[in-house]
Amino acid sequence: MMRFMQWLHRWVSLILIIQVLLWIVSAAAFSLMGHHAMSGHQYMRHVHPQMLSEEAPQWTLDEVRRSFPEADSIVLSSVLGYPQYQVKKGTEWSYVDGHTGAAWQTDAQLAQAVAAASYEGPGVIVDVEAIERSDEVIKWQGPGYRVDFADDLNTRVYIDAASGQVVDHRNTQWVIADWAFKLHFMDYSGERSFNHLLIWSAGLFALWFSLSGLILLVRNVAQGDFNPRRKPTWLEQLQRDEKPIASSCGGGGTCGLCKVTFDNAQQPAPTAAERVILSEAELASGLRLACQHKVQASDKVELANGDVASHTLNLQRKRDLTPSIAELTFSSSQPLTYRAGQFLQFKIPHENAVLERHYSFATAPTDDGLLTFTVRHMPAPRSGVPAGIGSGFLCRLKAGDQVEAIGPFGDFVLTEAQERQQVFIGGGAGIAPLRALLQAEKQAESPRPCKFFYGARNGSELCYVDEFAADEQVDYVPVLSESVSEDWNGRTGFVHAVAAEWLRSQDLSNLDVYVCGPPAMLKATMDMLAELGVPRNQIKFDDFGI
Amino acid sequence: MTQVTRSSRWRVWHRWLSLIFGVQMVLWAISGAYMVFFDLDYIHGDHLVQEITQPVAPEVDIHSIDEVLAAYPHTQNITFETLWYQGQQQAVYKLSGHNGEQLLNASTLMPIALSAEDIEALAVRYYALDDPKVESVVYMTENPPTELNPALLPIWQVNFDDFGSTSLYLSENTGEMLVKRHTFWRGFDIFWMIHIMDYEDRVDIESWWLQAFIIGTFILMITGAVLLVYTISFKRKSSGGAA
Repeated sequence: MMRFMQWLHRWVSLILIIQVLLWIVSAAAFSLMGHHAMSGHQYMRHVHPQMLSEEAPQWTLDEVRRSFPEADSIVLSSVLGYPQYQVKKGTEWSYVDGHTGAAWQTDAQLAQAVAAASYEGPGVIVDVEAIERSDEVIKWQGPGYRVDFADDLNTRVYIDAASGQVVDHRNTQWVIADWAFKLHFMDYSGERSFNHLLIWSAGLFALWFSLSGLILLVRNVAQGDFNPRRKPTWLEQLQRDEKPIASSCGGGGTCGLCKVTFDNAQQPAPTAAERVILSEAELASGLRLACQHKVQASDKVELANGDVASHTLNLQRKRDLTPSIAELTFSSSQPLTYRAGQFLQFKIPHENAVLERHYSFATAPTDDGLLTFTVRHMPAPRSGVPAGIGSGFLCRLKAGDQVEAIGPFGDFVLTEAQERQQVFIGGGAGIAPLRALLQAEKQAESPRPCKFFYGARNGSELCYVDEFAADEQVDYVPVLSESVSEDWNGRTGFVHAVAAEWLRSQDLSNLDVYVCGPPAMLKATMDMLAELGVPRNQIKFDDFGI
Repeated sequence: MTQVTRSSRWRVWHRWLSLIFGVQMVLWAISGAYMVFFDLDYIHGDHLVQEITQPVAPEVDIHSIDEVLAAYPHTQNITFETLWYQGQQQAVYKLSGHNGEQLLNASTLMPIALSAEDIEALAVRYYALDDPKVESVVYMTENPPTELNPALLPIWQVNFDDFGSTSLYLSENTGEMLVKRHTFWRGFDIFWMIHIMDYEDRVDIESWWLQAFIIGTFILMITGAVLLVYTISFKRKSSGGAA
């Protein structure tokens, strides 16, 4: 349940965060401006109409009644002292000259005078323009006049031609407020409606979002997370003790890296987060996530994987494989045992903190104990955006420089005891764990047949191309997706499409597939494998972190 | 080397800020959802009332405007229409000027004072739903309920016994229905109060605590957004096995 809440909170927030920020920013605009500034009425004067007795209408009420026998209501009013009849029939209004009985006429001169009478600001009239309608007074049908005043707010007064009345005042602050309304109500038509489908959906999302957050908060309070004297979680304790324990999510129970084994007489009850990340068998054997349990005196906790340790790596050499991918070879301060396909979590010093980045071993374990990684240098996507922090740091290392890493981690390893065709599909920097797996397979007592599809943008991006081309044990199929030069006689297109073509002719129940590459390629490949019907338990993938 | 990760620092900030600002965030969402989901015309009670004026029959003899102005020279605005009082639809002049509003019988120019019975009859005619059941007719001179602007006093309050506990407020001078209220308007008003955090007059949107909560919630959202970036892009290496 809590796990679901966390999932809900996170994904709804991803969709909603932009609108929530817009709500907050527009609310701030409302609050800073206040009703008066938003109204556009800063320089509006309340007009007291003249006494009707000063200039009584020459056209009598009975004459108006005869022209409008169906009128629901007849109002005698004045426009700057000149009498005017306003006749209402249903929802329609007609305006009649109080002296002549003709339809009311408003010329530019009258419009200017009416506007001036309604204005008490410092400006003078600079322009009077006849208009059909205006987007600034959306409910007004027009036609009429726009009267511009030269003042600090750019006040303009709209006059209705049919009635000679002021429709409204508008100014720069009103425009700002109007945009705030558009953002706040998600109504960009200018009608300031907050009853429409878009905001209903956003409202529902916002309800879910804030309520799921509240439920999580209540859980945190109940867990004592706000108590400064609460006991630390095992993750915090192990980190304080500088034990080699990794975490990407910072204790949220979502990354699954901080596995430990409880050897208590009674193991702590697994939390919802653990039920998702760990299997029944693992839970039964005492495996838990260190972030989910507080330190108890009676606990006997061991790091889950005895092989996991902190290592200080020393850069031995570095070479560029392609323009964007470099190969780094390290020696380790102490022996490091790993399986092909696993990765290390590198500690990247950045400003005042330590960031974590994962890099897979690019070779099977070697006798000399050297550790090789491939690092794709992430250039800045455009100026002003920083280049990849982790890759930038690693690529700047020089021979002899040191870096901290924890590991090894990961289950992206070869299947065992299956006499199946081994299929490797990779792209870009995803080459590293696949190359390690291929090397490990070749070192096996009886290597299984290996097929390796590797995609790159162009020829210069093909890592280790000569090595694989010369390898007789691996059926290597490089695929280029763009910039194919004339001397390329290999396959072109997307690597997953080329692999699909080959897979269609294979016995799908008799192969193991390993996939690693950038997110788009990984997703396309996984979709392709699902569509072909490759059994899910015969597919292993590594969502190579980018 | 310290192993405290950036994401856990953001998480601590996110939690503490949500402890302070989270409840208001929930209140904003609930009150906002109420205001969004109920149609504004319905909240205004437009479905509760109807127009009640009718054209004045051409044969009805009336005094002229000149006579009205001679008797009431301080008039700025005259409305000629019909009004239901003393059991029939009658032609009236409604005057407004510096001295407020005044109702005259258009045929006799006699001032009209509306009785409680007249007000009740008018309210029933304004009422648009079936089967009007008037619960009470109250003449209010002071202590208005929060749903009524005190500037409108004195005023007649006509309460109906219906689904929304409708109250119509009619002008004592002209019998005009000035304000309509029902349960969902009252709910809207309470949620509006919660939304703008002005718990007294329900109008002030410039209070310092509202601004403080806006800023605090903004920071809360930023920490949440950063956390989102961390938790979604720094995902764990998935186990390669069966899903």
